[in-house]
Amino acid sequence: MQKKKMMAVLIGICLALGTLSGCGKTQKEASDGKKTLVIGDVSFNSANEEADINPHNTYAGWACIRYGIGETLVKYSDDMEIEPWLAKAWENVDPLTWKITLQDNVKFSSGRDMDAEAVKECLEHLLAVHDRAAADTKIASMEADGQVLTIKTSEPKPALLNYLGDPYACIIDVKAGFDNGIVSGTGPYIAVDLKTDDYLKLVKNDNYWNGDPKIDEITIKSITDGNTLAKALQADEVQAAYGMAYESYPLFEGDDYQFSRISTSRCFFAKMNFDENSVCADPAVRKAIAMGIDKESFVDTLLEGNGYVANGVFPDQTAFGGDKVTTESYDPKGAKKVLEDAGWVDTDGDGIREKDGKKLVVKWLTYPTRQELPLLAEAAQASLKEIGIEVDINNTLDVNEVVQDASAWDVYAMANVQAPTGDPEYWFRVFALSDSAKNQGKYSNAQLDALDEQLSQEFDTAKRADLAVQMQQILLDDNAFVFCSFLKMSMISRSNVSNYTSHACDYYQITADLDIE
Amino acid sequence: MKKSRKQRNIVKFRLVVFASLAGLLILFSLFSDKLCPMDPYLQDLSNAKAAPSFVHPLGTDRYGRDMLSRIIVGSKTSIFSTLLLVTFISVFGSMIGLICGWFENTIDVILMRIADMFLAFPGLVFALAVAAVLGGGLQNAIIALAAISWPKYARLARSQTLTQKKATYIKAARLAGDSDWKLIVRHILPNIMGPILVTAVLDIGTMMMELAGLSFLGLGAKPPIAEWGSMMSETRNLLTTQPWVTLSPGIAIFISVVIFNLFGEAVRDWLDPKNGRS
Repeated sequence: MQKKKMMAVLIGICLALGTLSGCGKTQKEASDGKKTLVIGDVSFNSANEEADINPHNTYAGWACIRYGIGETLVKYSDDMEIEPWLAKAWENVDPLTWKITLQDNVKFSSGRDMDAEAVKECLEHLLAVHDRAAADTKIASMEADGQVLTIKTSEPKPALLNYLGDPYACIIDVKAGFDNGIVSGTGPYIAVDLKTDDYLKLVKNDNYWNGDPKIDEITIKSITDGNTLAKALQADEVQAAYGMAYESYPLFEGDDYQFSRISTSRCFFAKMNFDENSVCADPAVRKAIAMGIDKESFVDTLLEGNGYVANGVFPDQTAFGGDKVTTESYDPKGAKKVLEDAGWVDTDGDGIREKDGKKLVVKWLTYPTRQELPLLAEAAQASLKEIGIEVDINNTLDVNEVVQDASAWDVYAMANVQAPTGDPEYWFRVFALSDSAKNQGKYSNAQLDALDEQLSQEFDTAKRADLAVQMQQILLDDNAFVFCSFLKMSMISRSNVSNYTSHACDYYQITADLDIE
Repeated sequence: MKKSRKQRNIVKFRLVVFASLAGLLILFSLFSDKLCPMDPYLQDLSNAKAAPSFVHPLGTDRYGRDMLSRIIVGSKTSIFSTLLLVTFISVFGSMIGLICGWFENTIDVILMRIADMFLAFPGLVFALAVAAVLGGGLQNAIIALAAISWPKYARLARSQTLTQKKATYIKAARLAGDSDWKLIVRHILPNIMGPILVTAVLDIGTMMMELAGLSFLGLGAKPPIAEWGSMMSETRNLLTTQPWVTLSPGIAIFISVVIFNLFGEAVRDWLDPKNGRS
């Protein structure tokens, strides 16, 4: 008996030791005096089309530019005006020809000089492989001469430089290759290791042309769960966080942390499916949905004031946004009438309307990586139920696959930066034209397409803004999209981190100025 | 060694207490719709994340819905789906086991190898895969858990049947001219019921946890259905700032699981041959 007891105690001790051994510090201490920083990011993941940092791969350019690996020819100011970056000057020789003069003394992390030939190779590769770049830029040919790049477009392209500031146009050394999604850029940091949906490791670029990067090693951790991100920041596993849920903000409102806040053009909006089998093919249903979503309560309560109600595609700060367009306002009574007039009536008394034996069920597709999207879905579910529409929510990481199947959704709610190039044309080109890459709902309006033709050739900014307003009004009159709110963005960091600053266009997260005490 | 009269009384007392508690819980969930003080699905965004108060004893969630009402109405979803699941797997699994044990032929070999296959998968991981293939939703979560849980009952019923089959009283009944059907229904089934019943009752707690687990992972109940697991999942970001919203469905799961587990143990002790029942 005594022996058995001894044995039990021994086993108990072994188990306890085994458990405790897992509690040791997992992070390597920076004993060699190196400055290190770990950033947690909810958006750096394959579900968000940022599987790596190759700008020529869908939206991965966002990671490339955010983490200071790649740079574009021009950059945006906080007013979304274009400023020189890798290009120091440019000239619009004639409507089809642009002459761009590049900075001298810029080197890629591969060691190669950044000259016009390298930029030409990069852009040629981009046009060949990227899904949006060729249609956006309409580049027909390029000529390289020392540091001067001459671009010819196939049609007048007033917003060409705006597009060349898009993350996909990060200038990289294509000859250095794309091993494991890692590219060689000109930025203050060099990517050395990448594991998709896990981490990205960066080291400082000692030969950076535009300053002296302060931190030796930076790790970007891909953390899709907001709660995990909050805990990681509290536990000092990450020292800076991007994409923290608003609900966690109160945890960081002390002297130990700092917020960098800015209003952005990131918008939560719902697009409708125009497929003939979708309930949203019925204009009355679309109108009722637009009238049945309580945007103000969403912003005040679920976004906790970290946003503002959206009218149209673009925010107030732009010359073509805010209240320059009109849309349906929250009006449950009006929405009920719209549905009744269209023949949607609740015949069986279950609170959900029917027409021709078909129940008014809206399949609401959304994804969890933008943490407020599921909240919008559930808020809309309750307010639309009031007017007799049942909402069936599909909140999935697999959203990019599901959205391709027109029978799998009626409304797709998403978040998007609406004017990433400071120009309105981009958004229509991506989402709303008959041939747009992300127009999975097959919305088509001939008048809108015709106005886009005009917009794409118009050099006068005032007239461009006017066209953009007209185009938005068409979308809103068709209720093809419901724009719910724009976001105020906050990046949170420990107080010993400096220059971790948010930017209106949501790029340029890591710069040479970023530092940690 | 038989238990003393005092011990037997304690066993009986425990059985009565926990059976009553389990019965009350089931009855409570059955009438949960009527017992809700408020509409559990009514959103009131102006009153979101309110702390516990007289009007909302367990506070409100981020949509301003009354947490107490949601937990009460959630009991129906959580408890009844669990009971449905356990009833199905115990009946289905036992039938398979009974058939296998009685006939001991090729069907037995095939069915038992299939059962082995299901047992070889790590439980929750397999349920996750099934739920992922079938899509989310409570119904699919139940199917997923049923798919992995029936073999346990099949094995138990089979081994019990094999033991009983060789018993002298079965031989006697067979000599008396009873048919296979009569032998199974009148003699085998009543004699193998005990262990299966104990396993089933003890399984309620486990299944409740697994169902809540799947819901927590987003593969169970869909919004806005009030279900304890998905309620915890939806509000987990509030654990540090408004803990009552996350903790209250957790406590509800805890209490229910404890009651069903203690009830299961009481049934086991009561059916224990050492308890002196014959």
